[in-house]
Amino acid sequence: METYLWITSVWGIYLTAVVFFGGMAWRIYQWATTPKSPVRLGMFPKPKSGAGRFGKLLADTFIAPQSAKIEPTMWIFAMAFHVAALGAFVGHLRLIREFPLLPAWLGEAGMNTFAAWSGSIAGTLMLVGVLFWIARRTFGPYKNLSVPEDYLLLFLLLGVIVMGDHMRFVYGGVVHAATYREWFVSLLTFKPEIPAELLASNVGVSLGTHMLFTDLLLMYFPFSKLVHAIGAFSSNLVRSE
Amino acid sequence: MDSTQLTTLTGVIDKKMNRQLKQYLDICARCAICKDACHQYVGTGDFKYLPARRAELIRQIYKKYFTKTGEFVPALYEARDPDENLLDELYDSTYACTGCRRCMYYCPFSIDTAWILSVAKAILIAAGKGNEMLGQLADAAIFKGDNAEMFNDVMVSGFEDIQEEVRAITGNPNSQVPVNKEGADILYVALAGAHSIRPAAVIFEEAGENWTISMFEAANYGFFYGDVEKARLITKRYIDEAKRLGVKEIVVPECGHAYRVAEFFYEAWSKEPMPFKISHILEKVDQYIKSGRITVDKGLIEGKVTYHDPCQLGRNGGKFEEPRDIVKAVTDNFVDLTPNRAEQWCCGGGGGIVAMEEFKDVRLASGIKKVEQLKASGATVLACPCENCRLQIEELNEVHELGLQVWQVIDLVVAAMPLKGTKPTHV
Repeated sequence: METYLWITSVWGIYLTAVVFFGGMAWRIYQWATTPKSPVRLGMFPKPKSGAGRFGKLLADTFIAPQSAKIEPTMWIFAMAFHVAALGAFVGHLRLIREFPLLPAWLGEAGMNTFAAWSGSIAGTLMLVGVLFWIARRTFGPYKNLSVPEDYLLLFLLLGVIVMGDHMRFVYGGVVHAATYREWFVSLLTFKPEIPAELLASNVGVSLGTHMLFTDLLLMYFPFSKLVHAIGAFSSNLVRSE
Repeated sequence: MDSTQLTTLTGVIDKKMNRQLKQYLDICARCAICKDACHQYVGTGDFKYLPARRAELIRQIYKKYFTKTGEFVPALYEARDPDENLLDELYDSTYACTGCRRCMYYCPFSIDTAWILSVAKAILIAAGKGNEMLGQLADAAIFKGDNAEMFNDVMVSGFEDIQEEVRAITGNPNSQVPVNKEGADILYVALAGAHSIRPAAVIFEEAGENWTISMFEAANYGFFYGDVEKARLITKRYIDEAKRLGVKEIVVPECGHAYRVAEFFYEAWSKEPMPFKISHILEKVDQYIKSGRITVDKGLIEGKVTYHDPCQLGRNGGKFEEPRDIVKAVTDNFVDLTPNRAEQWCCGGGGGIVAMEEFKDVRLASGIKKVEQLKASGATVLACPCENCRLQIEELNEVHELGLQVWQVIDLVVAAMPLKGTKPTHV
């Protein structure tokens, strides 16, 4: 298990970081160096001021009100997934340092309870979202639109979420943020080590598999349609040009 | 497929590549939210008309020849060559598309499928599969531009006939259809056909406008065909004419794409700033009514009136309120369609599809949403400022027995003007 963790959760993460950040930089460079469309591709109604355009960009990108209007079901699941993913990301920041204020208010036990609840909700919503998408792609009348890339990404996401949920639901009461933080901060300071608590139970297998899927997902990220995470800003901005 | 053709077709994508196209091809999540936005997919249920699928065909070529991942693992993206199979489907899905951009309106990333399909058209043309009818109509328009003097006499005599009709309507023997008038303020670029000129002339004359009629029509089949150079040459005909006559403003008629071409596309095609103000005729008419330069009476139009936003004028041109204000000025009995403005359903007749007989079935099937909207409105008169929309809706009107009168907005205005001459009947 120790070898598995060293591969997926130490060296794998370093490799992923290089591929992910390098890939995203390369992607942005490619977009930035391709000349703009000679034709203004905006549509109406179009905000007149710069602030209006910026506001519309934020609303279109983060809320997608038009999409909500035409397909509310899809919008609810997509919104739930993205908000939960954002919540999960924020929760994972505890890997770097403990949140300010919250632990002081809640106490150590309170903080663990809070993390258990919020992590469980986020993890469940993401799981539901991904299962909905898999079902929609597989059984929808337009399933022919899907290509293997779509299923690969959903499979990787499913792996990340299921193993994350496994750690949250099965080992949530056993291993707390401080232990994971010890491991993650050691990576950030380039003195990688794997704490004994992670090797003492099967939580190490869960973490290793969670990280395996995460590594694969993030390494593929810059070369997949997931670049909509950054591309959506400029493509939505063009709408107001 | 043979390598020369392959190089040619991928070369087209390379030449047409720009940031927006690249992003659209990179970021589409194939979420299919666009499916309910497209009148053709909704009307036919045919997979090839799903907007994301139309774009996907170009994406498949792009992935294989312009991305490393697609080059190494084409199966992951179903990336493939632009072979006969692909081109055949692409022909149907591209030339059937009316370019209404309703899918872009609802897309969470605002992906402009029509912009992707402009590359599809260039590929089809390079493969010798451009639509022949549209190509011929475009060539005929360019020929007319190159040989203007050949058409001069017949055009001028046609305008004289229209001038007689205008005088009969206004009851004013001095009403004119000015031809080749240097120093006019406005060059009115009409459509081919007296119906597009007569009511406009009545309004311009009654408003005391200093205008002149163009020898060329505003319709642009080069734009529908998808050949930028042809489209540029067709537009250039009246741009050159406007320069020669020294006008200040070009006014385009009740035609959706003519406005978009002049206002949004020509600068990009000609690579020079547009030297004239571009207006839609309904902007002018709205100003004439609001400033009192022409008078319209309510009550002369019978029945409940509704208004259809042509996609190129509304969602893609931004003229939502001027036409509505005009219609509301001529009747108190106005009802809007639901949905309307930016969410207005495409009638199914745009993008040159009415000129292509082979798409008649899909065109009529795709009009079902418009038919539902019109029925629900309970209107008996439809004001519609776009020629292609009118042709489509008139056909839907017959097929579905809607009992609707389909009017140009300027015809409604003339019918509501208290003039001394004979009232024109609805055409």
